[in-house]
Amino acid sequence: MKKNCIAMLLAGGQGSRLYALTQKVAKPSVPFGGKYRIIDFPLSNCANSGIDTVGVLTQYRPLQLNSYIGNGQPWDLDPADGGVYILPPYQSAGEKGSWFSGTANAIYQNIGFIEAYDPDNVLILSGDHIYKMDYSDMLREHIEREAACTISVLQVSMEEATRFGIMNLGEDGYVNQFEEKPKQPKSDLASMGIYIFNWKKLREYLIADENDPNSSKDFGKNIIPNMLAAGEKLWPYRFKGYWRDVGTITSLWDANMDMLSPDLINLYDPSWPISSRSPVCPPHYAGESAEIIHSIVTEGCEVNGHVENSVLSPNVIIGQGATVNYSVLMPGAVVENGAIVEYAIVGENTVVHSGAHVGAAPDGTDAWGVATCGPDIEIRSGAAVPSGAMIYTGEEV
Amino acid sequence: MKDFHGIIFAYSAAPELRDLVGARTAASLPFCGRYRLIDFALSSMRNAGILDVGIIMQRDYQSLLDHIGSGKAWDMSRRTGGLRMLPPFGLPEYHTGNYTGTIEALNAVATYIRDIPQKYLVLLLGNMCANIDLLPPMRQHRRSGAEITAICADHNPPDSHHRYVVGEDGLVKQILFDRTGEGEGLPSLEGYIINKDTLLKMMDQCKARNQYSFHKNAVAAFLAEGGKMDTYVHPGYAVAIRSVEAYYQASMDMLKTEYRRQMFPADRPVRTKAHEEVSTYYGEAAVSRNSLVADNCKIEGSIENCIIFSGARIEKGARLRNCIVMRGGIVGANADLDYVIADKYCSFSAGTVLTGNSRLPIVVPKGVSI
Repeated sequence: MKKNCIAMLLAGGQGSRLYALTQKVAKPSVPFGGKYRIIDFPLSNCANSGIDTVGVLTQYRPLQLNSYIGNGQPWDLDPADGGVYILPPYQSAGEKGSWFSGTANAIYQNIGFIEAYDPDNVLILSGDHIYKMDYSDMLREHIEREAACTISVLQVSMEEATRFGIMNLGEDGYVNQFEEKPKQPKSDLASMGIYIFNWKKLREYLIADENDPNSSKDFGKNIIPNMLAAGEKLWPYRFKGYWRDVGTITSLWDANMDMLSPDLINLYDPSWPISSRSPVCPPHYAGESAEIIHSIVTEGCEVNGHVENSVLSPNVIIGQGATVNYSVLMPGAVVENGAIVEYAIVGENTVVHSGAHVGAAPDGTDAWGVATCGPDIEIRSGAAVPSGAMIYTGEEV
Repeated sequence: MKDFHGIIFAYSAAPELRDLVGARTAASLPFCGRYRLIDFALSSMRNAGILDVGIIMQRDYQSLLDHIGSGKAWDMSRRTGGLRMLPPFGLPEYHTGNYTGTIEALNAVATYIRDIPQKYLVLLLGNMCANIDLLPPMRQHRRSGAEITAICADHNPPDSHHRYVVGEDGLVKQILFDRTGEGEGLPSLEGYIINKDTLLKMMDQCKARNQYSFHKNAVAAFLAEGGKMDTYVHPGYAVAIRSVEAYYQASMDMLKTEYRRQMFPADRPVRTKAHEEVSTYYGEAAVSRNSLVADNCKIEGSIENCIIFSGARIEKGARLRNCIVMRGGIVGANADLDYVIADKYCSFSAGTVLTGNSRLPIVVPKGVSI
């Protein structure tokens, strides 16, 4: 089955900077924004962009991700001649088999999958970004510019540019230099880690890179610089709109808070739905003593306490007299009567028992941070979890 | 349960539902923020492992078809068996009115019933608001050797209903028609587990005698001829929705935690067609008390004792008490609504005041702007 473009979604990383939240699950399946998991964004973008074949490369803790993606039906990614495929590392005849040793190696190991669709172009995506993007528009530019690779870039401030991979452009508008986290940035165009490659070209570079013993088998470190060095045409696709990398606790919390402001990212737009595999539960119930202000709440929740500036996922329960402020509560989290949760992320099915206090308001010091509790934790009655704390599953608190 | 086949009656016109059934059957009436009444019968069957189900419908079924689709939401989109929608196909040509009774509805799809491969049938009303755990009565039916097991309520419903009087042998000895208030007998939920052969015999007999009513003709004759009928009492919430008053009361009952637990137990979820995946946003001045709110709403005003369906917008300063706002309803700034049932896609302009009362809630028909 010939396809113009298929997508390969890199979802194998641990996301180690999310600590307790990715102890047992891969980063793309971390709950986000109430109803979603992070991977819903690239999957929905694919479906909305008319890309109906997506290979999801998994490696770290894939169990939950596999069952979440299933047959792809919630994203309409279940056509007869394509769909979403989970691609774990595998063993070949006569070989020991190996883990994916880098982003480029992960694609290299799945050349067989890609060839089955004989695509002209391959879209490479990450599983840790929150954004709405029409990949078909990027693909159109990629084809018009006859590029070997088109890299999606975002304009950032010069100060921020030092934290990103920066694309420097030549006079013809094509990329002529790529600098990873430059101290003295020459441009403000940051790579978003989203690439469209001409498949024939990419295949060549992947095979060459695989045979280079000194390569770290990474798109940013090896493939892109090698293409530039060989004089290939690399086109920058300028993306305008909301885009966040949610690879750290602070950025994950920030992006969740952004969900309270529809002018930043509008999830209510019926022409670009973000879909998810959601549990079946009744509408949320606001009790006699509920106070819900500037917050998002979803199905299965029961709120009897005070909730402000917060994001509640399905089946969250807030007891009477409890206070939840500037916090992200993941599915099934419980805040019992009189407990306080502020500036915190509370993991799936974690229970904050009555009288416990999780997190604290910013005090202006550098030591301050968002308090994080992983999944399936009991925060005992009367316990105090300080700001910036990281509580792992299995810890006694 | 491989030897059970489900039949759901979704043809009921229920004129007492007035404007709520202008363009839909009682079974497709929106309920509790995100459901349709028929979701309860379908989910009860699904949760008991019954995946082969026929839905008997007659007219105004566009919204029902739209809601049910392939039956995928209830795992009933199967290669073998699964869900079948059954419009009339066995009626004589001169028949143009509504089905006169359940037996007539069954005879209109008699070829379907005859071809059912399973030995037992489970019959449920599409407009019965109840999450019935069907496994216990199914097991009981197989064990007892009764030809019919009647599913009954554990309380006397306020509306008129039939009752079964049970004899000392534990079997039904008498049916009492159209009762209200206190009295002997178990109130029927009009749900049955019945041997396929028994039902076919009843259908044939009634057809030969020009009779239409399941209860007044078929069941009465069955009992008179000494047929074995057992009963099973469903412990929990159950109300047949046949009037605006019953619909309003059942909706408000869902605000009570006890009833909600009975209707939405975690181990027997009520499944429904999937909708858009957006949370509900509460604004800076929002007030929400004792209310059920579905997803994809924007609540900027105040709601108290309300059921708000998905896609509703309650603007700043609007005040709603004791209201049901169905899908896509828009209540403008400073509007004041009390005891109002707003059907889908109604809108109320800023400052509108509309007050019904608990005995007579105001029904605003679908799509009306005020």
